[in-house]
Amino acid sequence: MTYLLGILQTIGVHTLLGLSAYLLLLTGQLSLAQVGFFAIGAYVSGILTVIFSWNIFAALALGSLMAGFFAFLVGFPALRVKGLMLVVATISFSEIVRLFFFNLSWRVNVNGVEVGPDSTQGFREIRYFAANGWEQIHIVGLIWFVVMVVMLALWWLDQVRAGAVLRAVGTDELAAQSSGINLTMVKVAAMTGGGVIAGIGGGLFAHSTTYVDHHTFVILLATFAVSYPIIGGLRSVIGTLLAVIFIQGFIIEGLRFMGDYRNLIFGLLIILVMNMRPQGLLDGHLVADIRKLLSKLTKGGKADA
Amino acid sequence: MKKFTKKIIVSAVSALLLTSGAAVAETEINIAGWGAKSGPLRSFGINSEAVMSAAVARVNEMGGVKLADGSMAKLTYNYSDSACNAEQAIAVARKEAAEGKSLIGIGPTCSGAAAAMFGVFQKQVDDTGDTGLQYPILTDTAVRNGLAKISQWTFRNTPNEPEMYDRLWAWIAENNPDLKTIYGGTETDQGHSNGTYSKVIVQAATRHGFTWATGDIEGLTGDIASGYKEVLNSSSNWLQADASFSVQARAFRRSNADVLIISSHPFTTCGMLKELSRQKVKPKMIVGLTSSSSAEVMKGCAAEAEGMIIPTSFAPITEAAAEVAALATANGGDADLHSAAVWENVMIIKQVIENVGITGDPDMIEQERRMIRDGLAALTETDGLLGKITRVQDEGEALKPYVFVQAQSGSWNVIHDPR
Repeated sequence: MTYLLGILQTIGVHTLLGLSAYLLLLTGQLSLAQVGFFAIGAYVSGILTVIFSWNIFAALALGSLMAGFFAFLVGFPALRVKGLMLVVATISFSEIVRLFFFNLSWRVNVNGVEVGPDSTQGFREIRYFAANGWEQIHIVGLIWFVVMVVMLALWWLDQVRAGAVLRAVGTDELAAQSSGINLTMVKVAAMTGGGVIAGIGGGLFAHSTTYVDHHTFVILLATFAVSYPIIGGLRSVIGTLLAVIFIQGFIIEGLRFMGDYRNLIFGLLIILVMNMRPQGLLDGHLVADIRKLLSKLTKGGKADA
Repeated sequence: MKKFTKKIIVSAVSALLLTSGAAVAETEINIAGWGAKSGPLRSFGINSEAVMSAAVARVNEMGGVKLADGSMAKLTYNYSDSACNAEQAIAVARKEAAEGKSLIGIGPTCSGAAAAMFGVFQKQVDDTGDTGLQYPILTDTAVRNGLAKISQWTFRNTPNEPEMYDRLWAWIAENNPDLKTIYGGTETDQGHSNGTYSKVIVQAATRHGFTWATGDIEGLTGDIASGYKEVLNSSSNWLQADASFSVQARAFRRSNADVLIISSHPFTTCGMLKELSRQKVKPKMIVGLTSSSSAEVMKGCAAEAEGMIIPTSFAPITEAAAEVAALATANGGDADLHSAAVWENVMIIKQVIENVGITGDPDMIEQERRMIRDGLAALTETDGLLGKITRVQDEGEALKPYVFVQAQSGSWNVIHDPR
């Protein structure tokens, strides 16, 4: 059970990372900055619980807001460029964040023990959960509560005008601008929202693994972040979740015995999806089919009643 | 007919006895191992598994492990790939702890993964308010300073670098009075290389009278970690993924130091050595990081490493160590200071199992894991491949015997044995 709960923790945290990229991908922007926001959330909330002994909820909230704030700041200059240049700009941002934490040494004596980020030695003992008697089921509950709230918020967003605006920008910027949509505002809003989601994911990640260092937030994690929604598909938030379950649950955990071949399969999978299902596993057609099926079942159920 | 019936009954009873005997003989005690078997550091996991397989086979050849009731149990192992990744190391630790099959774990490979993994364990035993994992670990590879004290469930059998480098510099100073100055660099994004270089190696050299070739370093007194930030600022460093070392090698050359220090793992050690060779830098001596006293350097840059000196806790200089080296090779790996520790760990675990009296009853696995932890914590001395290993139990660490090896004609040869 401990093991399965651990896997659920990993899937939940990675889903948040994927959803942060999903929000931005709706506007057609491929950003590799999500890992930078994730790192900010991880370090800020870790510092707050370890050095300042904050409550976890307050620490996660501030870590998340801090990540959102940086996303907002980065959004303006970064979103002036698009396509490959945006990828380069966002990679640069993530590297700046990573190198900042690589150099950050903030050691404080708390109850006779020196704690806090220690540059290249990493930030150890972010043990709020275990030290405060949280059972693993509680941690999983918290993570999945956050995941559900974020997924519901994104689903709701897709049902209202704001979601249509995001998708309009993602589908055709020129057409959207011609319709009077403020592109900069929409993109910066999506970037900020993505930053907030990544920040809370980072905070949960740091407290689940109890340790973070600059190696944690490398470009590979940024690649995973954008891969989840791309593989899962952008028609529904469920796609990202399915992709995370498939990659983290099946490829990484289920195929552990295959060693290096797991990476090969991951690469192969992306190539296959891009060729065979360019809109992702859960594309528009599949979503429509599922909706039809659900609708039939509901009507059938009502008729039976 | 009576005779025939008797024969059948005798055969049936014999078969039953044999079967029950076999069942007793098949009582198994499982050890879980995990480390990097994928990614850039996969050789570490492959080496550890090769040695683990040999050690477990040896224990079983000797009859297995003695249980509390005096019967013998077979030792088994399983080895998982956790890459060099914190999440994966934690996942495997949770899996092993939850499945209730393995009595103890050996791993993981990387210090960063170990730092994270140890953090999810209960910090202090019997702390009912701490919900961390309760499963004993005896680590073989992760060397970064001070990891084992993260949890009282985690122990290490890794070399003590402050002691090794202190003795190394004392020996160099005594035997090479003409060598006066030092200069060096490290892979700064690697916690072990960086920490050992900037807090241990340079300070030890200073203690034994060596001076920094390009001028005094502020705050460097010789005490551990003194002036470590300035040590890094005064050095010419690189990163773990770097492939070009021309700037660093030029700085090394310009320093004109008698002794050059290359504190990095095999992959960048070879890169740096090759560049030094290309720039025709010929120092009087090169000192390396203990993790580079491995087969990887000999495979990657034996000619350029010629003459390099490294302190290490493993060399095939005793009969037992030579045998482990041969067995590791036969199993498709290499025995080095990291992987050879697995052999010692398996033997330590056998000793502890027999000391504390394990039943092997799967229903008692949690109590018996605790007994193993307490048994490990009670050890003051264990047998190692190079001699006696002293346990520093308040930190869960070890003081291992060590030797100084030098790269000579494609192999690491012992040039001084301070045991």
